[in-house]
Amino acid sequence: MKVLAFVGAGAVLAIVPFLGLPAFYESFLYLVFHWIVLATSWNLLSGYSGYFSFGHAAFFGAGVYSTAVLAGKLGWPFLWTLPVAAAVPAVLGVALGAVVFRLPALRGELFALITLALMFVFATIVLNTPLDGGPGVYMSAVAVPKLAPSVSGSFYLLALVLALGSVAISYAVYQSRFGTGLFAIHDDEDVAEVMGVPTLRYKLAALALSCALAGLAGGVYSVFVSYVTVSETFSGWLALNVILMAALGGTRHWLGPAVGAAAVTAMTYYFTTSEYAVAGRALVGAIFIVVILFMPNGLLGRFSGRKAFAREKQKELFKIEPSRPGPILAVRGASKAFEGVQALAGVDLEVRRGEILGLVGPNGSGKSTLINVVSGHYPIDSGSVLFEGRELAGEAPHRIARGGIARTYQIPRPFGRLSVLENVALPPMFGLGALHRRAAEGEAWRWLAFTGLEAKAHRLPAGLNLHERKFLELARALASRPKLLFLDEVLSGLTPTEIDEAIRLVRAIREQGTTIVFVEHVMRAVMELTDRVVVLTNGRAIAQGAPREVMRDPLVVDAYLGAARA
Amino acid sequence: MPSLTLLGQSALSGVFIGALYGLLGLGLTLSWGLLRQINLAHFALVFLGAYLSYQLAAAGMDPLLTLALVAPGFFLLGAGLHWLLARFSVSPLNTLLVTFGFMVMIESLIQWIWTADFRRMETGYGDVRWRLGELYVSLPELLTFLIAAALASGVWALLRHTDLGRALRAAAEDAPVAAAFGVNEKRLALLLSGACAAFAAVAGVCLALSHTLAPGQIYAWIGVVFAAVMIGGLGNPLGPLAAGIVIGVSEALTMALTAPAWAPLVSFTLLIAILLLRPGRVA
Amino acid sequence: MGRLVLEARRLRVGYGAAPAIWDVSLEVGEGELAVVVGPNGAGKTTLINTIAGLHRMESGRLVFSGKNISNLPAHRFCDQGIALVPEGRRLFTGMTVRENLELGAYRGAAKAHRNTSMERVLGLFPMLREKLALPAGTLSGGQQQMLAIGRALMARPQLLLLDEPSLGLAPVIVVEMFRIIREVNQAGVAVLLVEQNVAMALQLAVRAYVLEEGRIVAQGAPAELASQPQIQRAYLGH
Repeated sequence: MKVLAFVGAGAVLAIVPFLGLPAFYESFLYLVFHWIVLATSWNLLSGYSGYFSFGHAAFFGAGVYSTAVLAGKLGWPFLWTLPVAAAVPAVLGVALGAVVFRLPALRGELFALITLALMFVFATIVLNTPLDGGPGVYMSAVAVPKLAPSVSGSFYLLALVLALGSVAISYAVYQSRFGTGLFAIHDDEDVAEVMGVPTLRYKLAALALSCALAGLAGGVYSVFVSYVTVSETFSGWLALNVILMAALGGTRHWLGPAVGAAAVTAMTYYFTTSEYAVAGRALVGAIFIVVILFMPNGLLGRFSGRKAFAREKQKELFKIEPSRPGPILAVRGASKAFEGVQALAGVDLEVRRGEILGLVGPNGSGKSTLINVVSGHYPIDSGSVLFEGRELAGEAPHRIARGGIARTYQIPRPFGRLSVLENVALPPMFGLGALHRRAAEGEAWRWLAFTGLEAKAHRLPAGLNLHERKFLELARALASRPKLLFLDEVLSGLTPTEIDEAIRLVRAIREQGTTIVFVEHVMRAVMELTDRVVVLTNGRAIAQGAPREVMRDPLVVDAYLGAARA
Repeated sequence: MPSLTLLGQSALSGVFIGALYGLLGLGLTLSWGLLRQINLAHFALVFLGAYLSYQLAAAGMDPLLTLALVAPGFFLLGAGLHWLLARFSVSPLNTLLVTFGFMVMIESLIQWIWTADFRRMETGYGDVRWRLGELYVSLPELLTFLIAAALASGVWALLRHTDLGRALRAAAEDAPVAAAFGVNEKRLALLLSGACAAFAAVAGVCLALSHTLAPGQIYAWIGVVFAAVMIGGLGNPLGPLAAGIVIGVSEALTMALTAPAWAPLVSFTLLIAILLLRPGRVA
Repeated sequence: MGRLVLEARRLRVGYGAAPAIWDVSLEVGEGELAVVVGPNGAGKTTLINTIAGLHRMESGRLVFSGKNISNLPAHRFCDQGIALVPEGRRLFTGMTVRENLELGAYRGAAKAHRNTSMERVLGLFPMLREKLALPAGTLSGGQQQMLAIGRALMARPQLLLLDEPSLGLAPVIVVEMFRIIREVNQAGVAVLLVEQNVAMALQLAVRAYVLEEGRIVAQGAPAELASQPQIQRAYLGH
């Protein structure tokens, strides 16, 4: 349906140059399409994943100068320069990303600043080498391919193709697993990684796409303006304009940047082409500020273009096949310190296949740290963690998730801007099974039914109460069909009835073949549910065994209630 | 291979330009380090201050005295901007965007009033030069250096040795707990924002004394000043000065030994190198 | 029981649909040591932070030494004579030990007596004396806790609030710390202590409250409460 509308719109628009309109209209629409490409391409990385780039002009400029040098200086045919105009910025972008994306410290504002500086570096290089050298590059001699009756019509068609392509790509990404991953990165990159999203790869891919499209727009633009200079090309104002357009239309929506681009171009066309250009820029700045302050989600912010797939009939739950003999998890000498605090001081424990193991201990004893270390949220300092015989220490978190380990967070960390259904659908997409979106949502429905959250499937996590958010954590962890599941204080804050319900659920999960490690303070649940209990104190395991015995062990009573009670 | 004198002169002018980077970066490092706000409008304010003092100097006023008028006004501007951001609870990333918007607006304002033509402040200051052995030092350069050093040291001393300074640092680290001990974080933030804008005015005057002004030039400073701020460590008033001097000297020597145009790459490379080696130190 | 230094009436503090604490009333008399115990997630930290002014309450009343402080802004609480030792210490790790202590005496009334307060605090915690010039973040867990208590004492409070001070500390240090808390209390400072280490807490206190799922479920003299099966079950499950 959407595809039809799309192709139809494209066909209609393609007719325009053949209508014999004055060149003014074609040029104006060219600009609209040009900005649609720039804004949409920017949004692929920055809007979807949250890595705000201020340096879009750098990649646009790389495209401009690729064509300018190849066609304007070296005489290449114009259309042949376009693949280069796409490739050069993409390669540069990926090179930058390969370095910058690996450093967690360089997120958010820092990434924005680095990209802004990048623009200036590119400008300097271009200005001071034979690429430009100073006087600019004259492009008027470059032959424009005759795609339409007039020259402006040809540019119109080129830009139209690019604009349609950009919007189509934006839509495709939006609806795909790739897009889900990007949105997850936006909301909580660390959790996304732990749930199996290959964050580095996805960020690089989005960046490469973004740069390539910007470069293409640049290549066409260089011939359109017929005279190219460094100062006009690598301008901070372009960055601002692009961000404004995407923000105005809505950065979370595939069509948002296009809508914003059309709106802003139309609004400011009068200004930018007259002697009021300066006032025009000030106006754009003012609109920008107003939009950020009052409409942070943009015009299309209220509409979510991501329709969930129709719910399909649920198949039966199947059991997870046991794979190998021996403990499913073996931790030896695990140690982890944070800023002088030794959270784990050589933990030794084993988790047997198919059991429910209780992990208990006073506050600050290292329980959450142990989970964080095994799931890859933090790297281990020393010791080994063997999961089904495979060493986990040092593995990238998203690979650990794919191996079949899942965990819930003590304080729920759902992806705030994905719906409940989308939250639960994410791990199946990136976990053991690596399902596509439709199948993943099918899985998600199953687990929503299991945890009683079906009615809230399309809500955002903020609309859930604590009990529901804990169950969302649970459903999300289960959805990846883990072999080993860590439950981090799922019960705290729940009423007694809710606790009973949760206990029933945990038993059902075990029935399916998932091994469970259950961190809890609610002792009633620990006694009822667990096969064995391990007690942690001060980063060490001090007792292991059947629940009743362990909890009567004087060492343990001492740790909990204090010396006076021994 | 350039002569030793030339290299020496280059290094010396590198020191002075570095001092200017430090002065420009002072307000920025304080608001970023202590208030978690990246204020891009700071650069536009610097230029606005430069143009205003240019204008007042053209009317006959001594450039340094123009500060008496410009700085207090900027103080109010800075506090006002912070009030706006606080009023709308603007997130750190959105602060970057909003201040970017203000930067563009101020730049347009400057261009509208003073046009894109180059402006050069004509004062007696520029003509005064001293000899230091084989090297020359001009008055504006020396003034900039002294002002930068004095201001940075003064702020550093204030942060380290006074109650106000301690309160600012505590609030920057953990505002709720600081409030539990009586620190009025909101009022301090307004004060600090105003001060940073006033520092921008000072930087503007020094800029006008030694450089030709043009609106588009605003962007030229962003990269290198941010590099100085980040390398020097956020929130450290002496940081941009020290880092700025290192950058300035490196740039000057690069310019003397290779082509002048490669200078901006120096700061960018230094920044990336520092971030890779010491990633924890920033923000 | 003499005058009340703290009176909380029907406090309600909420996040969205489910309040973190509701209908909570408690009292601390002048110079008394009262204790709030309860399982994780019960709302103890929310309660203490509200009394310290860090959380806004949705409804209820907070009266300190006869003065209604329910609507005061956060930074005015310390002026009244309340000092907080937060959960997890929350020291200013970028500042030195000395600066942390000096910050404790930021408020007007305490500032004048800063030097005498400093001497007194260093007398209580002699191990801090040699660390004065070091950044607070380099201290061990136990030393940090002592510093956090010292910082609060610098404010010369009439009421000292402590949130789980024994968290993550070795038992021998915990014993020492509680000894010091008792000493401070005996010098006339009222103390409201939130603790997971039930035995220690009940030993010290004159009055105890049990907080579960956001409500006070039991209160009274520690001897009565300690024998109640409720506490045993809540913590040990049997």
